[in-house]
Amino acid sequence: MAHETAHIVEMARQLRRDVVTSVHLAGDGHPGPALSIADIVATLYFAVLRIDPQQPDWPERDRLILSKGHACPVVYAALARRGYFPVEVLPSLRCLHSMLQGHPDMHKTPGIDMTSGSLGNGISIGLGMALAGQYKHQEYMVYVITGDGELQEGIVWEAAMAAVRYRVGRLVVFVDHNGFQSAGEVSRVSGLLPIRPKFEAFGWHCQEINGHDVQQILDAVNCAREAADRPSMILAHTVKGKGVPFMENDNSWHKRVPTAQELEAALEALR
Amino acid sequence: MTRIASSREAFTNGLLDLAARDERVVLVAADSVKALRATPFEEQFPQRLFDVGIAEQNAVAVAAGMAACGLIPYVATYAGFITMRACEQMRTFVAYPRLNVKMVGLNGGIYCGEREGVTHQFFEDLGIVRSIPGISIVVPADASQVRHATRAIADIEGPVYLRIGSGREPVVFDDSVPFEFGRTRVLFEKGHDMAIFTNGFVVSRALAAAERLHETGIHITVVEVPTLKPLDRDAIVEVLERTRGAVTVEDHNVIGGLGSAIAETISEHVPVPLVRVGLQDVFPESGEAEALLDCYGMDVPSIVGAVHRAIARKECLRLGDAEADSSVQRSPGMQVRT
Repeated sequence: MAHETAHIVEMARQLRRDVVTSVHLAGDGHPGPALSIADIVATLYFAVLRIDPQQPDWPERDRLILSKGHACPVVYAALARRGYFPVEVLPSLRCLHSMLQGHPDMHKTPGIDMTSGSLGNGISIGLGMALAGQYKHQEYMVYVITGDGELQEGIVWEAAMAAVRYRVGRLVVFVDHNGFQSAGEVSRVSGLLPIRPKFEAFGWHCQEINGHDVQQILDAVNCAREAADRPSMILAHTVKGKGVPFMENDNSWHKRVPTAQELEAALEALR
Repeated sequence: MTRIASSREAFTNGLLDLAARDERVVLVAADSVKALRATPFEEQFPQRLFDVGIAEQNAVAVAAGMAACGLIPYVATYAGFITMRACEQMRTFVAYPRLNVKMVGLNGGIYCGEREGVTHQFFEDLGIVRSIPGISIVVPADASQVRHATRAIADIEGPVYLRIGSGREPVVFDDSVPFEFGRTRVLFEKGHDMAIFTNGFVVSRALAAAERLHETGIHITVVEVPTLKPLDRDAIVEVLERTRGAVTVEDHNVIGGLGSAIAETISEHVPVPLVRVGLQDVFPESGEAEALLDCYGMDVPSIVGAVHRAIARKECLRLGDAEADSSVQRSPGMQVRT
């Protein structure tokens, strides 16, 4: 187990290096939100998801929906490192005719299970996928990664109600609770917080973890899978910009391009 | 006496036929089972009905997720709640990823919203959907066509919007008449003085106007356009080249729907006069269905008048052309007969 977590931790560090590098080379993108979920993404892609890079459309595969689509550089990095496409493609992020759109496109990028980027929609779509699996007696899991700020969207709670009504045990939602959204601190922008009691009130299975602790992420996924009669929410406490000291908790890195010098400093911190 | 049949029951019957032969077909409702008259579906296929409650955005997004996993979801509720409240889900998560979701809108037009008033009268749906890339749009003329269309759109891979009504629609077609996706259909052809292009539950009114005109010596062609997108452009252009003018008759705002689609075709391919009959960019009100159409300009005399106006404009242009050809100045007092 220790060996496995060490590998995931190293992969998370690699994904972070890929994020800052690709955003720098592309000259555009959202590094802060991507760094925030690097440990969750690395754990899912390198230890959890039942997927086959040789068959991206395998019907029985587990699904991952990145509801906070703007964090896609880290998922693109994971897909490349997992062998869906060459790592050399990563710097083409957001460029004309690139397979790596500014926000995920399920038809342009192998391994992307659902187009995303307009916030708040991932849980609903994940619910639809989980219901389809339930109806077809397939055993795939559906994982959704959502930001905390996007829980302000009304559709989130529409989905929260319906998911409980249909007892979708194979739907697992990670909430990346880094406390920031585009305009500032979530606690200042709206009355969303606290998050956990709201999902609990809707009847979800809820857990709270350190979203940068790989062992806690793995344990939470296993626990969520055991809750087979209801959907699961894992509230992952994270740090926006995690891993690059000068980006951590500095919301100006929500969408900002590191200069050559900043990239060098970031890569040094991520060695 | 006009025969009436229910487009809502027809939809459910069509869906039952489909579900019996294709396990991938499911129904996603937003507390709309009763409105859809879909209780028989719930009884026969309880495991294939997913009612997410009064939550249309969720309904459309859930359907997108299902389609991404190989099902063929029909998501059905009031037209405006799909096309307006859930517009972005329809655009970004159904149309953009080209997912095989069939969206079915109840109460299309003011005829079907009738006594409910503006909140339940949907006359912008077609314009909204038409402006989104990749969604086919089907506007059947009566209940039997709705039943056929419900089945036919399952064979089209990709997003479709199907407009249905309130449950009391005039019968236009015999049940044996099939629905043909993507094709226009000539319903009346007594001459080429003018063409009426029409669709939806006002087709019967367009036909009544054509009969009345025929009795007064004006001989026109009536073309049904049950697939609004993709438009059967070549067939429309062919008719326009013969009639050299057009009137559109639709239960929709004249902006965005059939009138706009024909105007676009005319301006790019056959520049001829056009008069659009439909809701004239105003909010209507509650009222009895037939009286509403009469009050808001979709009555038979208004359609007849529109044909007269279109013919007069055509005549004007013809005289203008002749004038230009001969370089002869028209006398100032000359009037065109209307």
